Amino acid sequence: MSDADAPLRPPLITGDKSLSDITRDICVPMERKPTGLWWAAFLVSAAALTVGVAAVWYQLVTGIGTWGLNRTVGWGFDITNFVFWVGIGHAGTLISAVLFLFRQKWRTAVNRSAEAMTLFAVMCAGIFPLIHMGRTWLAYWTLPYPNTRGPLWVNFRSPLLWDVFAISTYLLISAVFWYVGLIPDLATVRDRSQPGLRRRVTSILSLGWDGSARTWHRYETVYMLLAGLATPLVFSVHTIVSMDFATSVIPGWHTTIFPPYFVAGAIFSGLAMVLTLMLIARRVMHLEDYVTLTHIERMSLLMLSMGCIVGFAYGTEFFMAAYSGNPYEQFVFKNRALGPLSGAYWTMVTCNVVVPQLLWFRSVRRSLPLVFMIAILVNVGMWFERFVIIVTSLHRDFLPSSWAHYIPTSIEIATFVGSFGLFFTCFLIFCRIAPAIAIAEVKGAAGLKKRPAMRRVDAQSSAVAPGTVAAETAKPAGVS
Amino acid sequence: MNQISGQPSPDRRLRRHTVPEPDSAPPADELFSVSRRRFLEAAGFAVSLAALQGCGRTPTETALPFAVQPEGVIPGRSLTYATTCPGCSAGCGLLARVRDGRPLKMEGMPEHPLSAGGLCAIGQALPLGLYDTHRLRHPLHRGEQSDWEEIDRLILQTLQQPGLSDGAVRFVTPTITSPTLKASIDRFLSRFPDGRHVMFDAVSCSAIPDAHERTHGVRVLPHFRLARADVIVAFGADFLGTWISPVEFTAAWRSRRAPAPDRPTMSWHVQLEGRMSLTGSNADRRIRLAPDEYASVLRHLHGRIRSMAVGSPPDAAAGSAPLPDRDLQELADRLWEARGRSIVLCDSQDVAVQTLVNSINHHLGNYGSTIDLERPGRQRQGNDREVLRLLDDLKQGRVSALFVAGTDFTHNLPERRSLAEAIENVRLVVSFSERLDDFSSLAHFVCPDHHPLESWADAEPVSGIISLFQPLLAPLGETRSILESLERWSGGSRSAGDIVRSFWETDVFPRSSAESFQDFWDQAVHDGFAEVEPTTETPGDFNAAAVVEVDATVSDDEYCLSLYSKVGLTDSRHAHNPWLQELPDPITKVTWDNYVCVSPAAAGRLELHDGDVVILESETGDTLELPALIQPGQHDRVLAVALAYGVRGTDRFAGVGPRWIGAEPTVSEGGVIGENAAGFIEARDGTLRYARNGIRLRKTGRRHELASTQEHHWLEVPPRVAPYGAEMREPIQSTTLAAFARDPSAGSPESHHQSDVQLWPEDHPKTGHAWGMVIDLNACTGCSACLIACQSENNVPVVGKDEVRRQREMHWIRIDRYYSGTGDEVDVGHQPMMCQHCDNAPCETVCPVLATVHSQEGLNVQAYNRCVGTRYCANNCPYKVRRFNWFEYPHEDELQNLALNPDVTVRSRGVMEKCSMCVQRIEEARIDAKRRGAPLLDGDIQTACQQSCPAQAIVFGDMNDPNSAVSSALNSPRRYGVLEEFNFRPSVSYLRMVRNREEEQHEGGEHV
Repeated sequence: MSDADAPLRPPLITGDKSLSDITRDICVPMERKPTGLWWAAFLVSAAALTVGVAAVWYQLVTGIGTWGLNRTVGWGFDITNFVFWVGIGHAGTLISAVLFLFRQKWRTAVNRSAEAMTLFAVMCAGIFPLIHMGRTWLAYWTLPYPNTRGPLWVNFRSPLLWDVFAISTYLLISAVFWYVGLIPDLATVRDRSQPGLRRRVTSILSLGWDGSARTWHRYETVYMLLAGLATPLVFSVHTIVSMDFATSVIPGWHTTIFPPYFVAGAIFSGLAMVLTLMLIARRVMHLEDYVTLTHIERMSLLMLSMGCIVGFAYGTEFFMAAYSGNPYEQFVFKNRALGPLSGAYWTMVTCNVVVPQLLWFRSVRRSLPLVFMIAILVNVGMWFERFVIIVTSLHRDFLPSSWAHYIPTSIEIATFVGSFGLFFTCFLIFCRIAPAIAIAEVKGAAGLKKRPAMRRVDAQSSAVAPGTVAAETAKPAGVS
Repeated sequence: MNQISGQPSPDRRLRRHTVPEPDSAPPADELFSVSRRRFLEAAGFAVSLAALQGCGRTPTETALPFAVQPEGVIPGRSLTYATTCPGCSAGCGLLARVRDGRPLKMEGMPEHPLSAGGLCAIGQALPLGLYDTHRLRHPLHRGEQSDWEEIDRLILQTLQQPGLSDGAVRFVTPTITSPTLKASIDRFLSRFPDGRHVMFDAVSCSAIPDAHERTHGVRVLPHFRLARADVIVAFGADFLGTWISPVEFTAAWRSRRAPAPDRPTMSWHVQLEGRMSLTGSNADRRIRLAPDEYASVLRHLHGRIRSMAVGSPPDAAAGSAPLPDRDLQELADRLWEARGRSIVLCDSQDVAVQTLVNSINHHLGNYGSTIDLERPGRQRQGNDREVLRLLDDLKQGRVSALFVAGTDFTHNLPERRSLAEAIENVRLVVSFSERLDDFSSLAHFVCPDHHPLESWADAEPVSGIISLFQPLLAPLGETRSILESLERWSGGSRSAGDIVRSFWETDVFPRSSAESFQDFWDQAVHDGFAEVEPTTETPGDFNAAAVVEVDATVSDDEYCLSLYSKVGLTDSRHAHNPWLQELPDPITKVTWDNYVCVSPAAAGRLELHDGDVVILESETGDTLELPALIQPGQHDRVLAVALAYGVRGTDRFAGVGPRWIGAEPTVSEGGVIGENAAGFIEARDGTLRYARNGIRLRKTGRRHELASTQEHHWLEVPPRVAPYGAEMREPIQSTTLAAFARDPSAGSPESHHQSDVQLWPEDHPKTGHAWGMVIDLNACTGCSACLIACQSENNVPVVGKDEVRRQREMHWIRIDRYYSGTGDEVDVGHQPMMCQHCDNAPCETVCPVLATVHSQEGLNVQAYNRCVGTRYCANNCPYKVRRFNWFEYPHEDELQNLALNPDVTVRSRGVMEKCSMCVQRIEEARIDAKRRGAPLLDGDIQTACQQSCPAQAIVFGDMNDPNSAVSSALNSPRRYGVLEEFNFRPSVSYLRMVRNREEEQHEGGEHV
């Protein structure tokens, strides 16, 4: 039984909302003029984006040498950021698809922004493999397409090629999933808006949504199918990303634990990022009634469990290194913990394993500032996890003569900052042009109080189906 | 609606077809106006034209064939000329590969009796010195460009001035092995009543000939024949690195260092030295001894050997030796056992010490066997006493004309300032320098000599072995051979070629056994050298009375400064060669700088770290400010500084390397590369001393980052992160001779065997060629000649100091140098490391675009054109031999593009590169064999690194041919593959190092 129907559980949506209240609450922030806070955030994000664009442009014109990489450490910030952003992108699909299939209704409050976040995070992620190439302008050579060069095919054995497929598939499916989920809400916006640009655009994008039972039926079917399609991606994408490392011969990379470890890490970081964003959006857009403490608590619990899986993986790595009898492997792990980059390692352990343990306490889970802090720390920790895996494995490998250090340059840092700029710029624009919470879905999760309100909404908006979720129409709605 | 749909209004459509009324002609401006449609037509055409233009590649260039084809020249094919290496006075044989009139690659001459096919880094780097825009292209008169008529007229005019020609005329050169040039100088000087030729070596061995003058009555440098020596005891002499004739000595030394299972013998090489030299790093036994302690040890050694030889009691007055008695006795015993087959070498500049060395060698019966005075060497003839007299004369104002050729006189001597002032008083100062160096900037006339590759010359490095230089290209500038300049000033007008040829006809030919001069000459030009009767004064009998008591008291000074020359930069002349500047020092691995080497103990005491700037101060008040470098294995009292730095004009290297916002220039503004340490050379008792006491060292608190290509120098991993039982890495395996004699495969760690497990079934037989390489670590000295050979052959760019500091050097072959042991007594191992061309190459599977693939012949090939630069291959390379083009690396000097090998692609920014096993040479040999209709034979292909290796440590060939040299090397019990336990199946194998020792330091073989 889903939460919303269980009478003994606290409602997911508080504030005694009617359906029209929900529509209004969610649509109003995007209909009125942006607030000063929004402008401030947007300007900061856009400035960061500009810095990033300038850094990338300089690097493309001058050379990868503007990064701190060297003959030993061939990947640094670039791939660290790539894996970091891909990881963040994971929560979106997890929340939208997996939790949808498991009928976790609390997801409705966060799924829209989580999906948007996924999309933008994957965009940010995709930039790094592109710009990390020595000859970015030839990036299309990684695509298997008929050509006149031989014909020269791509190397299907290379994990980097698998990445190309995995990431592009993921981006595509995430975008479609996000868009399909948006269709009923776009129709709501269309119906609410005055004649003008917004109405024209939303009427095209909502694909002539009429809110009929048949439309709903088909929509729900498509959504379910897409969720089914997207679910394996949650596991496949980061599995494949982990194979960039796992299939190599470098001690610290060459390990079979990576696929599950990376997936858990990705979901962990994604949840942390969703929490971070939701806590901000909740405050800024006054969505306290929709993103309630219950949501925060569930997300926290999920984060805690993922943190424990990740911590277990860290331990397993050390155990396997010790057990393997491979001195190179043993060295890499000792070197991680005690070598020149041990600071990064212990930051990772602290942020990812130690700090999340606070979430065992209900009081912590229900304290917004603490949860926010923990989420931020988890984000930091997960970035360092990728840094540790990539750089500490590379910088001291087999032959001591080639050991090297790695210090990022200002250009790399600016590029990293720029990726945050891109992410937040996109997210802020998204908040202005599309409902940040899935109106249609959240209505399904809302405990419906008053029949009249329901009717009123029906009259007002064609976007709300009689039972909201086709599969549940048979159930008596509004028990409370 | 109409507006929106964009249809033309009816009246507008009509107007196009309406003939204008005659009286309503359009206004003038409309006549010239263009309709929108016309404009779009034109614009579209222009855009498509531009697009078509843009599709084209670089503009077509027409290459016209020669109107008259030069004889024997086939465009694109290289010709090889036999000549002599001008890099130093050792006179190694050189085969210069010239293509389309451009000398591109210098190779060793296998037939040469001295160098035996080897060529050092300096010889390999010659092309870059040739194509150098900083070489003078015109003669200079008082710094202004002039022409030769003017110069000749003015110099002759000056020489005729009263009081000048009858004054002291001094002609300073470094060691001249050329009999023709020596005769020309003598002829020129003969017209002056007080003309004298002074030979000045920047790093002199003057004490050796001086000592022989005392003990044997002839002032000659003996020819040391290390190939005959079973026991070599060297005091400081870096004979494998820089001392006298390193290539020749390396070849000779190596010939006694190849133990076979059936004949497990090797020479025993002991090095007693203060700093860590290349030679010391290869010794079987290395004893740390400060240069001021040589005398004491030699005196003890002399006493013991003399007592064994003539039965006299040991030198009682010698006091206590700075060496344990057991070690001294072992040295004496083993030398005595090998008498007649041993040699004692010393680089001391104290004549008394050298006479002691002569006496030891005499008592050991080494004269006539390992030390040849009958056919002496002429490779060092510098006479410090005369140099010091000249300096004195200059300071007293007694010199009226000073000619200097081939050496930067003022740069390489102490008291530069007072010397420069003294030179100002000389009435005629002429330099023959090829560039505006420190001395030429003081000269009235600079008459630039040709580059040695542009001119005829000759050399007789060892009496009886005489070789020719032949011009390989027309001079690039308006320079003139020194032979021709002297000829003009002596009243002649012959060309350099004629001068050399006629000298050979009159003076060299009579010493040969040839029938006719023409045959002799043709053969000599073809071969590059000729063996003729030696000319020498007969040495007298050993004069025991000349052996004087040496002052054997060991100074209690805190420091002893040792000035040395670096491999690759033995002479300030080479400081302008960016390849040599970027050559990592074989021991310290530092590029682009000189520094003060201090021992770990001293550094600990002073709390010094690598790169801390210190000030050295001498008793005379000279100071030198240099970064410190901690050198394991160095004597605790010794501070070592390299000479030949701080060279005028090296500020040019400010432009080396990529320029971007994070870049730091290789040379700071107005600065030069390194600091000149010549001010610390001490003149004492008639010789220039490179070791001195009375030095104070002070920290400044500033830092200067040194650019080293290696960050971790030890086989031991840092103890803090070392896993239990795996404290040591084993890329270099070694054993002792004693263990080798018992078991030829001793020293092989148990776990390090290649697995037979293959992922793919063996249903794909590998037929045809399988290229492979074997490197004998027992032969390799780490001299780094291969590194420059590879750089020259494969167009490897120079990246500059900042890039090296960021660990982005581009060398395709590197020499890994590892220490093991404690910080005081260390063993050193050198290991050339390049792409191992693994059969199971980790790089190949990970490239997304198939830019690196396996060839049918077992090569791991890199398609630069296909590379998109993900660097995944480099990450996944366990040997870290792949090099990425982080930037575009143009030559600092565009003229240096002439040194590019047209057979090898110049790589662009953003692509990966690495050793190709000289695939262009493989193809060249294959095409050649095909043309001849013969199969490709073993030895037809020589990789660049293999060709020049003075120690012949590298063997390359077909592993599928059971009779090839590489196959037999692969069957050696000493063979192992680096990291072969991972089943990468490298095509490059190594032969385990064998040290001539009794003890085994570690269980299961000693890991050096």
